[in-house]
Amino acid sequence: MKKKILATLLCVAMAATMLAGCGSESASGNSGKKTYAIITKSAGNPYNEKEAEGFKEVIESIGAECIIKHPEAATADAQVSIIQSLISQGVDSICIAANDENALQAALEEAMDAGIKVSCLDSKTNAASRMTFVNQAGVQEIGQALMDAVYDISGGSGDWAILSATSQASNQNAWIESMKSIMESDSKYANLNLVEVAYGDDEPQKSTDQTQALLSKYPDLKVICAPTTVGIAAAAKVLQDQGSAVKLTGLGLPSEMAAYIGDDAAHSCPYMFLWNPIDVGRLGAYTSIALVDGKITGKAGDTFEAGEMINSPYTVVGADDGGTEVILGAPFKFEPSNINDWKDVY
Amino acid sequence: MAGKSGRTIDATVNTTWKNRIFSWEGMLLLLFFVINIFCRCISPNYTIINVLREMPKYLCEIFLLFPMAYILILGDIDISVGSTVCLSATMACITCNAGLPFPVVILVTLLTGMVCGMINGLILTKFTELPAMIVTLGTQIVFRGIAEIVLGSGGSVSLSNTDGFRAIAGKIGPFPYVFFIVIIAAVIFTLISTKTTFGRSLYAIGSNSKAAYYAGIKVQKIRFIVFTITGTMAGLAALFLTSALYGANTTTGSGFEMDAIAMAVFGGIATIGGKGKLLGGIISAFIIVCLRIGLGQINMNPQVILIILGTLLVCAVLIPNISGKLNIRKKKA
Amino acid sequence: MEKKSLWKKLTSSHEASLVIVLVILCFLVEMKSPGFLSMKNILEILKNNSVIMIMSLGMLCVLLIGGIDISITSSLALSGMTMGMLIKYDIVHSTLLAFIIASVIGTVCGFVVGLVVSKGKVTPIIATMGAMYIYRGFAYLVANSQWAGADALGDFNNFALESYLGFGIINNVLVIVIICYIVFFIMLKWTKFGRNIYAVGSNTEAAEISGINVDRVKLAVYTIMGFLCGLCGALATSVYASAQPNMQQNKEMDVIAACVIGGVSMSGGRGSVGGALLGALILAIISKALPLVGIDAIAQNTVKGLIILVVIMLNVITKRMFDKRNLERREM
Repeated sequence: MKKKILATLLCVAMAATMLAGCGSESASGNSGKKTYAIITKSAGNPYNEKEAEGFKEVIESIGAECIIKHPEAATADAQVSIIQSLISQGVDSICIAANDENALQAALEEAMDAGIKVSCLDSKTNAASRMTFVNQAGVQEIGQALMDAVYDISGGSGDWAILSATSQASNQNAWIESMKSIMESDSKYANLNLVEVAYGDDEPQKSTDQTQALLSKYPDLKVICAPTTVGIAAAAKVLQDQGSAVKLTGLGLPSEMAAYIGDDAAHSCPYMFLWNPIDVGRLGAYTSIALVDGKITGKAGDTFEAGEMINSPYTVVGADDGGTEVILGAPFKFEPSNINDWKDVY
Repeated sequence: MAGKSGRTIDATVNTTWKNRIFSWEGMLLLLFFVINIFCRCISPNYTIINVLREMPKYLCEIFLLFPMAYILILGDIDISVGSTVCLSATMACITCNAGLPFPVVILVTLLTGMVCGMINGLILTKFTELPAMIVTLGTQIVFRGIAEIVLGSGGSVSLSNTDGFRAIAGKIGPFPYVFFIVIIAAVIFTLISTKTTFGRSLYAIGSNSKAAYYAGIKVQKIRFIVFTITGTMAGLAALFLTSALYGANTTTGSGFEMDAIAMAVFGGIATIGGKGKLLGGIISAFIIVCLRIGLGQINMNPQVILIILGTLLVCAVLIPNISGKLNIRKKKA
Repeated sequence: MEKKSLWKKLTSSHEASLVIVLVILCFLVEMKSPGFLSMKNILEILKNNSVIMIMSLGMLCVLLIGGIDISITSSLALSGMTMGMLIKYDIVHSTLLAFIIASVIGTVCGFVVGLVVSKGKVTPIIATMGAMYIYRGFAYLVANSQWAGADALGDFNNFALESYLGFGIINNVLVIVIICYIVFFIMLKWTKFGRNIYAVGSNTEAAEISGINVDRVKLAVYTIMGFLCGLCGALATSVYASAQPNMQQNKEMDVIAACVIGGVSMSGGRGSVGGALLGALILAIISKALPLVGIDAIAQNTVKGLIILVVIMLNVITKRMFDKRNLERREM
């Protein structure tokens, strides 16, 4: 009996409190100030933090409001909750670094239906759930840069291996595919032999295990290419600690990699690449602003100004997946001569 | 007949726990009011329309709460439900992309969940020495592993035809369909746990499984059924989760098991078995969901939200224990 | 010494079957990938899994008293991260001091959990689940979106490379692992405290009646677990030359799995240091060997989960056979 009363009370309570909330419709957020939101991949990662920093800097310079959202875990599920929350807050634009290409479609479509301008940066969603994508560097350019690095460091011939993140990471797979196709298409690389693609799951322990496994399996290995920030740091440590003759290149954070970059035998990584995450964030902000102001609609061929940025104005171009993208530029090379300038930046 | 035998057990249970459980649920209800008023005060966007719009994704977790409450009452635990959701969601997307009609997709999704639950149940009832924690830890890795294999390179699948899922994500007024289904499931699960012999067997097994066995309750059969139900509900959760995502990937549903357990425990269901009411779990589930939505709307740091939830969880168990202790001391004095 | 006691048990127990599983596993992997059993490789496996190996000792004690602790990797992250940030901002320079700070933070974390479990009478899984969220959250707050990388940690990294504790022969990390195992072996076997742990786990009421302060034993066990987490926080930071707020996340399940594979009962009272060691080693070898024997990366999780399931089911089957044989013997 009491349970029934409780149950009815519960229902009434829910309805009552929510209706009470309904009474006064949201009046804030429309004070003329536009609101721009950025959703990163996960919390507690300096790379994401730098992206958000660049985004915020640009948004605040035009006097608008900026919301930075880090999901509680690096999953699409967590990002869906955040998108829903931002729709409630009535933001003008969402710029998202997607944890998954497909599983954000429902939420992002709902956001676009609500009049929110949706763009991606760093890693994209599928074409149906975005207006455009701020690509840190073209897949082809990264593949080419990494392939040339492997060619250069190995001296043009020998065994080399790739240490990737997870076997499902779409960025990683695209770069690896691009490297493979470059290797096949040009006879210059004919003497290079890709022995294995290993996966370290972006965990230091597993990446360490995998690097050691590569070394023991392939005694003639010359170069490891790790296009992932966690993997490259773990591999660099293994190689440097063992004083191995195997050299390393890939994509890594300067602050994490500074101790390993050098030309001599004591350092395991002669040079590596990355883009500037602050610039990725900035371009994401300019793209969001252009979308909200109606200067671009995300169609290929649109052009927009991006403040002080080097390659401004940027042009929206067609992407491989049928959507559109804006490309930041070529990846940046970190070598012994410039690493000390960058290690404190990000 | 069922009702009659049940009433006698109910009476004995209620005389000992009635007051405390009633007050605990009363407190939760009060807390629910407070949280809603609090959220309304801190966020101007905390309106009924917005809350209901944000809710479907969280409601999927509440589907898991019901069977999880049963499992905890049994004194078991199931940490594989998140992976079951992942595998079921994957199968939902794959079968849907294969062009099968939507009812078949629903069937396959539920069946996948059911089979996962049956595997758990089978291992646990054939190897009764093994604790549920470690078995479901093993299956947790395996189920998600199978999803990884099915998803293949890329680890993610999109829906090519979203019509069916769009339909089940529909709304009546501001209320999404899934809201009603959760309410219906809540009523069914609550009735089963309070009004049937099956429900009372759960408590009997949870309080003392040997005594229950000698009293003629088919302990292992009931455990098998409960784990199978859990799997099926995970399939149902996967179905609605897919309708909120339009895709599945290898991290889909990760952490759902912990959320479901937290909701149940916060609602007063003890992990040692035999104690607690599902109603408390349901109220606490809505408390947690509303709090998450409210704090999310003021853009609070997600890690701080987790700290708050963790503290709430510990306090929810700690405070009654301490006050109980003080009461005993007072009586002694 | 440990060998002798293993040999004694060889005719009777679980450790025996585990040793057999371990040997077969190693043999199979060695066949597929020669060089697996080289000294260098074995040392690498031990070093990379030092954290799991040490934490399974603490988990062994926790499981022995019938508890469980899923907050361990969160306290590990909190202590490792705090220590990493202190080194990064040049507040702490000495490696020893860093280790002490990490251990103290871990001990405090464990002590709080212990208090909630023993004095607050909160069931361990709930207390530690709450602690898991809270400590992990604090680890993120301490980190403030920064990592302490190899460059920032500086000399601290050398600890995991040098072997001054092992007289220049054995790596420092392994020395710590060995010390921990010896201490725990002695503690559980020959001290009153060790016997109290078993007593509390086998029958709490009986232990209480026989004059053991159950609450104090519980508090001590969770505090020890916390201390080991802190120690491992420092070790992990040193071994991987990086402190991140999501350090070792979800690895608590590996630690529990290691103990259970090693025959530690989750209801308390049964389990040994040898078992925990063997369990940790089997898990370590599985994860190291899967890529070596050429199992596709995508199927590795499935295989790992299946192996865990098979091993624990085999445990049960051998135990049943053994019990049956014992019964028959008694009937004769």
